[in-house]
Amino acid sequence: MNCVELRQSLAEVEDAGSVEQRTHLRACPACSALVRDLDVIVRAASQLRAADEPSPRVWNSIEFALRQEGLIRPSRSSRPPVPSFGVRWGAARWLVPAAAMLLLALGIYMRHESLPSQLARQASVAMPVANPSDLNDDDLMQEIADNSPEMKTQYAENLRQVNESIRDAQGLVDEAPNDEEARRSLMDAYQQKSMLFEMAMDRSLQ
Amino acid sequence: MVSKRAAKLVAIGVIVAGTLVAESKKEYHFSVGPRAGVSVMNPYGSISVKPSLNNTVVVNAILHSDRVEVDNNQNGNRVDIQSHLLAGADAESGRVDYEVLVPADASITLHSSTGSLRAEKLHGDVNLEGAGAAVDVRDVSDAHVHVKTMNGSVNLDNIQNGHVEVDSLSGDVTLKGVTGPLVQVVSTSGRINYYGDFGNSGEYRLTSHSGDIEATIPEWTSADVSARSVRGEVHDDIPLQPKNHTWFAIDKGRAFAGTMGRVAVSSTVVLRTFSGKIHLRKRSEKQ
Repeated sequence: MNCVELRQSLAEVEDAGSVEQRTHLRACPACSALVRDLDVIVRAASQLRAADEPSPRVWNSIEFALRQEGLIRPSRSSRPPVPSFGVRWGAARWLVPAAAMLLLALGIYMRHESLPSQLARQASVAMPVANPSDLNDDDLMQEIADNSPEMKTQYAENLRQVNESIRDAQGLVDEAPNDEEARRSLMDAYQQKSMLFEMAMDRSLQ
Repeated sequence: MVSKRAAKLVAIGVIVAGTLVAESKKEYHFSVGPRAGVSVMNPYGSISVKPSLNNTVVVNAILHSDRVEVDNNQNGNRVDIQSHLLAGADAESGRVDYEVLVPADASITLHSSTGSLRAEKLHGDVNLEGAGAAVDVRDVSDAHVHVKTMNGSVNLDNIQNGHVEVDSLSGDVTLKGVTGPLVQVVSTSGRINYYGDFGNSGEYRLTSHSGDIEATIPEWTSADVSARSVRGEVHDDIPLQPKNHTWFAIDKGRAFAGTMGRVAVSSTVVLRTFSGKIHLRKRSEKQ
């Protein structure tokens, strides 16, 4: 099994996976790192099950994505809803878990913040990515330098601004943990950063 | 002296001729059914989408060199167009400018990093994304309109009954006559301008970190307005009926909240910034 086959079979990875998958993962640091990232996301996602109802924006985005993919329009084509992970994202695959981690980490953080304060403090301390504003920034800039050097200055400036907005929004949440709008500001700031990662990923694909 | 000028002219002529030779035009036609899906992915160059007269998708592409080609694919009711950069292509030689005609009910997805993105007179979903692309969407109704830019400006004009979401990091965002159940703009440092009446019973959220927010509305607007700038200033030219309860403390000069017009049809309006200014203005008769 090579890297492409492994990535195409990622949906079938459960627990230790097949013998072929395990053999490849032992020999391939890149694929094993990718699987580790996905494991982290899956584990983090399972903690979100009991979280508060997501905002209407989340449902709106899901509905929009389904419409875009034709899944809630019977007359649309039979295009698969999720393209093959490895084929679609190739070398930029690290950006996907990075962007997802930004939002997941925030989701977990917000959930913990909504718990009673002492428990929340303990939970926040336990979270390894409770303040992920600098998560993979260097990797992001390296990706831009490699693929779109002419855009490097713009990305750097926007990254600086969005990190600043995360810090400010985080400060507001720390000051008033029960302020729903402050928490929403923090979520918006993370979404902006996630968008920056998505755009970098798109450029990598080009 | 004359020979130098002549040499210059010849050189310019060669360059122009070379450019003209390299530039080429392609046209593609696709027959589609109702509610088709059309996507155009274009790393460099503009994309403009307008309605076609029948159930056809027409793609006109101007390729600026032979270092880029157009891949096209139709899968059932879906048409995918992609500029395919060849070895050595850069922002200039890889540029393709598209003019696309689609059935008015088609859903479109447009991506471009540097060119302008424009869509008009449609009532299918519109999804536009571009890092530095200037975005212009107008005369769209009954649709989702999603826009993502890094530093490109965004102009939305006459969007009726839309689910509108705009995310911009540093580009300015201008909304004129944009109404619907959900209108949301999030910007980090770009300025947000809203001109309109906030429709009926919708949710309008304009949020920035450091960019200013300005809403210019007519006096007859019905809205439940909350505005807050954590570190900046707020200004309100319109008298609002004060609210008994707000989600934040009303710190004079930093926040205001109140209602105007008919409560039964009022929209919820939230204007929020960290360090920008917020200004709620009354529209003059001339505007």
